[in-house]
Amino acid sequence: MTTRAKLSGIQRQALALYRGFLRTARLKSPEERHRIESVVSAEFRENARNVDRRNFVYIEYLVRRGKRQLEQLKNPDITGLSTLEINKVLTI
Amino acid sequence: MAAAALRPAILRHIRLSATTVTPLAAAAAAAQPHALARWLGRPMSSHADHLTHDEVVGRVLDVLKSHPKVDPSKVTPEAHFEKDLGLDSLDTVEVVMAIEEEFKLEIPDMEADKIDSLPLAIEYVANHPMAG
Repeated sequence: MTTRAKLSGIQRQALALYRGFLRTARLKSPEERHRIESVVSAEFRENARNVDRRNFVYIEYLVRRGKRQLEQLKNPDITGLSTLEINKVLTI
Repeated sequence: MAAAALRPAILRHIRLSATTVTPLAAAAAAAQPHALARWLGRPMSSHADHLTHDEVVGRVLDVLKSHPKVDPSKVTPEAHFEKDLGLDSLDTVEVVMAIEEEFKLEIPDMEADKIDSLPLAIEYVANHPMAG
């Protein structure tokens, strides 16, 4: 990770997305919240480790996909990520 | 875990009963809308009346110490999240969100992105009228 002196636009978007997931997780049941937090955290960390920081096209794609998943997760009928797994597979 | 998650729900209920606005408060609200916002903010937390600077510092330190990646012995009121505590940007998001939850705040993204050290976190909470 770079110093936080200046976050790039895409970095800011990714962090905002992470924040959005954590905020939405708070609205779910304690068990779901915990599950969502660990899955989302693992996913972000894996991508932070493995995706080349200069691969903007791919990072932008990941952010877009994340935003879509977050929108679905915000739906109160969606209790957790298990419901989103199908979507994830389809969009990969 | 369950208790921690229940807390916001319970607090929301308490907040409802606290909003039974008396005529006096309603009059004050008409005169000074921000005063009402502050007044409504206060009863949300038992800490609200005594949120001293020392207490803010202590509770922010506790939040940091309880983060799984942080070595509690390195946590000081002057510590920088990344340089001193070795946190990355994702950890920083987690820490700032935990501070939000501790003080029952919602920090907008623009502000949250700037908080990269304990001094900034303490300053933000200490200056926030709704921090409880």
